Amino acid sequence: MSKAREIRLSEEVVRAIEAHLVELSAGSVEEYVEAVLRERLRREGHLAAYSPEEEREITRRLRDLGYLD
Amino acid sequence: MRKLALIGLDCADPVLLAELLPGLPTLRELAASGSFARLRSVDPPITIPAWMCMMTGKDPGELGVYGFRNRKDTSYAGLGVASSASFSAPAVWDLLGERGLRSILIGVPGTYPPKPVKGLLVSCFLAPSTEVAFTYPATLREKVKALAGEYLFDAREFRTEDKARLVEEVVAMTKRRFALVRGLVSTEPWDFLAAVEIGPDRMHHAFFAHHDPRHPKHDPASPFRDALREYYQLLDQEIAALLSDLPSRTRVLVVSDHGVQRLEGGIALNEWLIRAGYLALKADSLEPGTRLGDLVREGLVDWSRTIAWGEGGYYGRIFLNVAGREPEGAIPSSECEIVRTKLARELAAIPDEEGRPIGTRVLFPEEIYREVRGIAPDLLVYFGDLRFRSIGTVGWGRIHLRENDTGPDDANHAPYGILIDYPSEQKGGDRSILEVKDLILAHFDKEAS
Repeated sequence: MSKAREIRLSEEVVRAIEAHLVELSAGSVEEYVEAVLRERLRREGHLAAYSPEEEREITRRLRDLGYLD
Repeated sequence: MRKLALIGLDCADPVLLAELLPGLPTLRELAASGSFARLRSVDPPITIPAWMCMMTGKDPGELGVYGFRNRKDTSYAGLGVASSASFSAPAVWDLLGERGLRSILIGVPGTYPPKPVKGLLVSCFLAPSTEVAFTYPATLREKVKALAGEYLFDAREFRTEDKARLVEEVVAMTKRRFALVRGLVSTEPWDFLAAVEIGPDRMHHAFFAHHDPRHPKHDPASPFRDALREYYQLLDQEIAALLSDLPSRTRVLVVSDHGVQRLEGGIALNEWLIRAGYLALKADSLEPGTRLGDLVREGLVDWSRTIAWGEGGYYGRIFLNVAGREPEGAIPSSECEIVRTKLARELAAIPDEEGRPIGTRVLFPEEIYREVRGIAPDLLVYFGDLRFRSIGTVGWGRIHLRENDTGPDDANHAPYGILIDYPSEQKGGDRSILEVKDLILAHFDKEAS
């Protein structure tokens, strides 16, 4: 996991998340916000699913498994 | 609300399962009391994209995902590994979540990195390790560790001649996965469960020759001749234990993404393209097993004289070098269809070593998909209807290979997987993998009405 930085959210948003943590299947506001933002950033192409090292390792494993050559 | 549990067995094959069912009391009972159908996979019948096609009801063209690696752009080296971010269509659990229903998702291929869901998600074997965020919510990882110990996404160092170690590893992986599934369904709220075990696929590729007497490499004296059968018995026991943890009226689907068939050899796709004048290299002497991708990166492909190149794997993908599309396209777009049709005909006619036809199928994306998104291959090639692997590496000096270029492999994929539906009024027949999403939604619609 990368290093963390603090950001500010409006009281309204934080309260809304806190009030629905069970429905949102999250243990905390931070956990939910991090997951939602990561998903959104990946979908928009602004955050890679894999680091270059991870992608090389996954490619190696996929070759090992026979999916790629 | 009656729950629905989908148990995924990657690569479970209808013919193989029917052969093994007498020794599998749990699956036999589910199939006999419910229904047991062949489930037609997508083209290509490969884990990625097939599982996500099942879960979204979309074909690979609609998803724009044609395999584990896809062209990100029209450059020659722009291949990227598919991830959950590659699948923008809502999965069945997203639609159930909108209805207020909770899902537990474990090991469904195409779910790494984990997306937020209404429920719990433990992602698949495409997770780099358990050191990364592989669950939703992220804190679920602690519970995974508590329930399954060191969680194994997949068998490590799969291409091995150390078969005893591989069996141990797959068995350990399967036991831990089922321990996790049982632990979560017993302690967490849920309506829909989807848990996929990758073990059958790994066992098929490693042990199909040991099991199948018709396999060219079969040795009746092999100490591993019963490894596959015994592994299915383990699966049957694990499924029985899981069912005992589920509420008695739970609907159970046992499904697979594709089937299995014996692998009889390989066709060196790019070697053939070179010989047939479609692919030109700037290097004369190459080591056997040289990857074309490496030659592309080293500038050793003569694109000015290249009409097409291929990607290998369990099936072949052909890309044409089209002017105005590829950076150094050599085929005028006006001639593209003529070239593609001629190439398809010639690929389909490649014989075996003795000159006999092998029944190769060449597929045109626009003919098999409802829509073609992203950058699709121009042709999909099933050598010998997938009895032969597509070898993408070069330097072999011949077209026909007996062995896989990535290590020992006994099996290739087959187009039909399985669908056991319990309880079910319907009997037998063939179903499509693209129907499963609606089958699940219809179950919950009926329960809600």
